[in-house]
Amino acid sequence: MTSNTFIRIRNFIILALIQVLIFSQIHLFGYATACIYLIFLLKLPRHTNRNELLIWGFFFGLAVDIFTNTPGINAAAATIMCFVRNAILSQFIPKSIPDDLTPAAKSLTWGGYLMYATICIAIFYSVLFLIELFTINRPIVLLTGVFASTLLTMIFVAVTEIFSRTK
Amino acid sequence: MQNIINFLIKHNHWFLLLVLEGISFVLIVSFNSYQGATMFTTANNVAGNIYMAINDVDSYFGLKSENVTLQNHNKELLEELQVLRSKLDIVSDSCAIAQIRESIKANSAFHYHTASVVNNSINRINNFITIDKGSADGITNEMGVFDERGVIGIVYRTSENFALVMSLLNSKSNLSCKIGNSNSFCSLQWQGGDTRYAHLIDLPQYATYEKGDTVITSGFSSFFPANIPVGIIEETVEDGDDIFNKAKVKLLVNFSNISKVYLVGNDKKEEQEQLEKEIKK
Repeated sequence: MTSNTFIRIRNFIILALIQVLIFSQIHLFGYATACIYLIFLLKLPRHTNRNELLIWGFFFGLAVDIFTNTPGINAAAATIMCFVRNAILSQFIPKSIPDDLTPAAKSLTWGGYLMYATICIAIFYSVLFLIELFTINRPIVLLTGVFASTLLTMIFVAVTEIFSRTK
Repeated sequence: MQNIINFLIKHNHWFLLLVLEGISFVLIVSFNSYQGATMFTTANNVAGNIYMAINDVDSYFGLKSENVTLQNHNKELLEELQVLRSKLDIVSDSCAIAQIRESIKANSAFHYHTASVVNNSINRINNFITIDKGSADGITNEMGVFDERGVIGIVYRTSENFALVMSLLNSKSNLSCKIGNSNSFCSLQWQGGDTRYAHLIDLPQYATYEKGDTVITSGFSSFFPANIPVGIIEETVEDGDDIFNKAKVKLLVNFSNISKVYLVGNDKKEEQEQLEKEIKK
């Protein structure tokens, strides 16, 4: 358990640095920014304590916030994503496999895993853009932002999954 | 009673959610309103120094073009100096130049600083730039920031060693401008999307302007002296039922490429603001 936590903290630091130094600087079409740190939150095992999940989400979001001058915004969105994560995940677990699993293409099948990730990430970006815009009067900006960013992040989710399978 | 306690224990993650979301919203709100809230931004020492270390390496790649720009700017300033000197020579016999110089210096309300950009974002709705000078170097809130191309933004928050600049590419930024020499003044705002363009709003209908006119700072606000270039009018937008017109402006600064900036502080800002406040009462 403790070694597991150490590995997670190490991954946390590496991913946070990659996120803020590379991915937060990239912005396609003026709207889309990939949040690859969500992969870490999506891949925590299903039976992780619910409070622990929330705390990982909050601090990961806060770490990214500090570096992107958006105090509180990523933290709020990532916490909500972690909160609804397990409910969404349970929709995509095939009956034949044990309940305690680590979400991945191997355990959930490709379709299930990508659907699960897409829904979670779309929820994350909806909250993020709603807070950042602080209005629903600009639905086009909101929807393009959510759609483009979700799509971009999903590409990285899929790429990560392909490489982790070949290992 | 036992039931209530059981209920609370069973659903404790709901309370944790509320607490964490509460903290997030306090952070969001305090960043917007509370002066000096820089702990959770890139103006804090850890984040600032990480970006500064990266920038130390990164800045070498742009060094050549940076030098060319500075050299050109120097050349322009030298030429201007030459012209002004020759004009001074003409009048030097008729009046006391030294006295004029002294009085100009004494009356000038503006003082300048230089700084390097350590972090810059352009992909958000509210963009900020972090610079490597802070309150220890005499930087204060609401100083104007520009470079040799034009206006960049206004200092939003300062910590001891870093400062956060609200760039023009921020939905909260609102810059007082005028068009060319026409003296019809208006405000410049950015509403997200394309980082090369911003919009002039509040243009009075009687104002005459056309495509290609230069937009400069008005000098009405206490942040910038007058006549610093901002952008060029790209197209005019006719808004039928509005009292004011709008115009699309191409910004002179390429915000994806900023490395050295100048800051301007107004020594008489407080005096001006106090006077304006008294009038409003």
